[in-house]
Amino acid sequence: MEAIKNAFDFSDLPKTELSLAAAVLVFLLGFPALPHSSFGMSTMIQFLAFSLYGMGWNLIGGYGGQVDLGKAQYVGIGAYTTAVMMIRWNVPFWFSMPLGMAFAVGWSFIIGYPLFRLKGHYFAIATIATSLVLKDLFEVWDFVGGARGLELPIKGDFPNWLYLQFREDYYYYYILLAMFLVGLIYVNGFRHSRLGYQLRAIKDNEHVARSLGIDVHWSKIKAYAMATAFVAAVGSFHACYNYNIEPEDVMSLDLSVLIAMMAMLGGAGSIWGPIIGAAILVPMKNYLGSWLGGQAGFAGMDLALYGLIIMVIAAAQPRGVYGIVEAVRARRR
Amino acid sequence: MEDIAIQITKSLVSGLLMGLVFALVALGLTVIFGVMDIVNFAHGEFLMVGMYTTLLTSPLLGIDPVLTLPLAGITGAILGVMCYFGLIRFLIKGPMIAQLFGTFGLMIFLRNLALLFMGSEPRVIHEGWLVGKSFIVGPGVVLESTKLAVAVLSLVSFAVVWWLINRTKVGKALTATSLDAEGARYMGISTEKMNALAWAVGGASVGIAGGLLVNFWPVEPGVGLLFTMIAFATVALGGFGSVRGALVAGILIGMIVNLPPVWDAMMRLVHVSGLDIHSFKYTMVYAIYFLIMVLRPQGLFGWKQ
Amino acid sequence: MALLNVDKVSKHFGGLVANHEVSFEVDQNEVVGLIGPNGAGKTTLFNCIAGYHALTSGTVRFNGADISQLKDYQVARLGLARTFQIFEASGDLSVVDNVMVGSFMHTGSRGEARRLARDTLEFLGIAETARSMMTELPVAAQKRVALATALASQPKLLLLDEVGAGLNPSEIEGLINLLQRIHREKGIALLLTEHVLEMVMAMSHRVIVLESGQKIAEGEPAEVVKDPEVVRAYLGDHYVKRQAKEDGDA
Repeated sequence: MEAIKNAFDFSDLPKTELSLAAAVLVFLLGFPALPHSSFGMSTMIQFLAFSLYGMGWNLIGGYGGQVDLGKAQYVGIGAYTTAVMMIRWNVPFWFSMPLGMAFAVGWSFIIGYPLFRLKGHYFAIATIATSLVLKDLFEVWDFVGGARGLELPIKGDFPNWLYLQFREDYYYYYILLAMFLVGLIYVNGFRHSRLGYQLRAIKDNEHVARSLGIDVHWSKIKAYAMATAFVAAVGSFHACYNYNIEPEDVMSLDLSVLIAMMAMLGGAGSIWGPIIGAAILVPMKNYLGSWLGGQAGFAGMDLALYGLIIMVIAAAQPRGVYGIVEAVRARRR
Repeated sequence: MEDIAIQITKSLVSGLLMGLVFALVALGLTVIFGVMDIVNFAHGEFLMVGMYTTLLTSPLLGIDPVLTLPLAGITGAILGVMCYFGLIRFLIKGPMIAQLFGTFGLMIFLRNLALLFMGSEPRVIHEGWLVGKSFIVGPGVVLESTKLAVAVLSLVSFAVVWWLINRTKVGKALTATSLDAEGARYMGISTEKMNALAWAVGGASVGIAGGLLVNFWPVEPGVGLLFTMIAFATVALGGFGSVRGALVAGILIGMIVNLPPVWDAMMRLVHVSGLDIHSFKYTMVYAIYFLIMVLRPQGLFGWKQ
Repeated sequence: MALLNVDKVSKHFGGLVANHEVSFEVDQNEVVGLIGPNGAGKTTLFNCIAGYHALTSGTVRFNGADISQLKDYQVARLGLARTFQIFEASGDLSVVDNVMVGSFMHTGSRGEARRLARDTLEFLGIAETARSMMTELPVAAQKRVALATALASQPKLLLLDEVGAGLNPSEIEGLINLLQRIHREKGIALLLTEHVLEMVMAMSHRVIVLESGQKIAEGEPAEVVKDPEVVRAYLGDHYVKRQAKEDGDA
């Protein structure tokens, strides 16, 4: 009961932030009714997806300070569970999604146990390594379509709620928006939970955390498992939305990096960070990409610019965009 | 049976040669890490820059690719120093997360800059003293001259770096900085200069590695990642910060990556087919990194925790 | 039955003997001081008791249970809290959030944890800093928050490692009063190390003296300071001889 109350308790956040968030929410709810291009719609869906990935990343990366660069493996586990189960046994999305989350959590426990014996850079690189091992395995595993990946068949008439197949994008948009809100509330609850506090203490100083009775290793594994569930759920959604998945697309290092970047750019360890990061990077990447990437001789310009911005922010304000907001607020006070 | 013997010799020889290349790529990473405790995720992109430098300057200047190696080294060194003063110097003041973030940004930046200027086509060197020539040293055992040259030059680079660190005054200052930066500062060593030097040495060695590699490995903007990962695995195995470790570990990893032909041959003997071991050769590199870090985080020769 | 029973505890680091067969007890209603010159092995002994180091030999019993094999966080959960000599505050947590981490040891409820944290801050007289960020506070105040966090975990015994270091005389005065209140009003036993003797002498019922990893004396503060072994440990052989000569002359 108290957990639910905590999840809906936003009262510890500044009023300005809450009113801004409310305005954004109204915009998000009404967006499909506004005039928009299909490009704009798909950008918004990507924004929501990356916000969710980022929220998952933030649980362990932001609150726990463990830089995870292997989130794509869980996107892959979710996406593949849904795709394989639908293709082979006609299992609907609503069953395969929780199952995909369960698989991802199971895998996260298996690798989390050794992973969290590492710290800092070593941990970050090891997460890349595990993710790439899994990707390589999927690329040669015929059961899941190997390197060519899987194509999801169309199941009957649109709109098909069981298999999440719709002709119009706004169905997908609202489903993902619902997941986004559930995710946001969940993260808020996590922030207020015992584990949420303990994780921040661990990030601060592991020795002190231990002296307060916190099993540091196990706490990290638990938070990692939760983070994983988020990412796998969106992975399942991605499979249905895209109709087509392949290891290079859903399990690549680029995806892992992008997830981590968005959360870090927005501000790791703050509830709005991943959302801010996704709101900046997804449209920037998409529009820069379509504007510059479309013109002959400009391929790469968009991402080079993007890399440059990331470098500048890392050097100037390591706490990300939200860190800038906080710094400004502190100066005013 | 003869078949297996030849396969094993072949694998070992090509593993040794490839391993020396990996070792050279890892050398720069371990020097930088040893001095500064910072992991450069753009390391493979430095390699790519070295590769493009040789690829482009050789026809431009009308000289053989091998002669452009000093240029590749200088380019790498300049790039290293630029990165240090333009980015790393600011990053090290921040938390670890900012360092990862920053060098990742650098990786994306360099990779896409290459895409912008060079396009996504993989390119190779078609002409040169080393290209396409080989020695036959035994029945079925072929030494490609490119790889042999790379191996020899890799050893030379190691010798130079080793000499620089262990036998020169600058090297002693470098070692002092890596052992205790604060203490070194009190002794009047400019750690700023030492850090920059580490980036210069690291950049130069990986630049040269790139200049050599491009003689037999096609270059494209995304080539860096695989080598970054190989370098990480090598440095992890050898021990973060250890020059000797990088050499030994590089050779070991080269051998492991080149083992699949041996298994293939054995499998042919016992008539089990269908499994393609080749697709796992780099998977093994990642697995090695993971296992080493978990089981023996200090690596073979590491001293940094 | 003593609350804490340290029995022949030794700790070696390779060839270095940091603690050699140290034995002592702390009762529920006691304040015990652990003194000794720099490098005597006080902090190592603390770390051994609190489960941060594995013991080379010996046993540590707490509240009747053998805790020698337990991990640091398990020891903490049994009611043995500690503070650290070097405390660097960073991070995203406010003062009250920090203290809540301590109170979460015995409750899963945020409301309960917050109430406990506020009570503790109130008790320590720093309730007004509750909403500040840790990094905004001066070091002395940060240390007090660390103390509050340890207290909020409701320990039976509190190990205090150099809490007075870096404080000025009036701050030390305040700290002594505070610690005595903690002991009296909360009924928490205290074991404190300090190489500044003033504080230990003023508060402790009993003092244990370590030198080169071994216990060389134990007793009431007033007696211990007269012990020639202790004087030698602190001031050196030379001083003791001269003192003896002067006494002889007189």
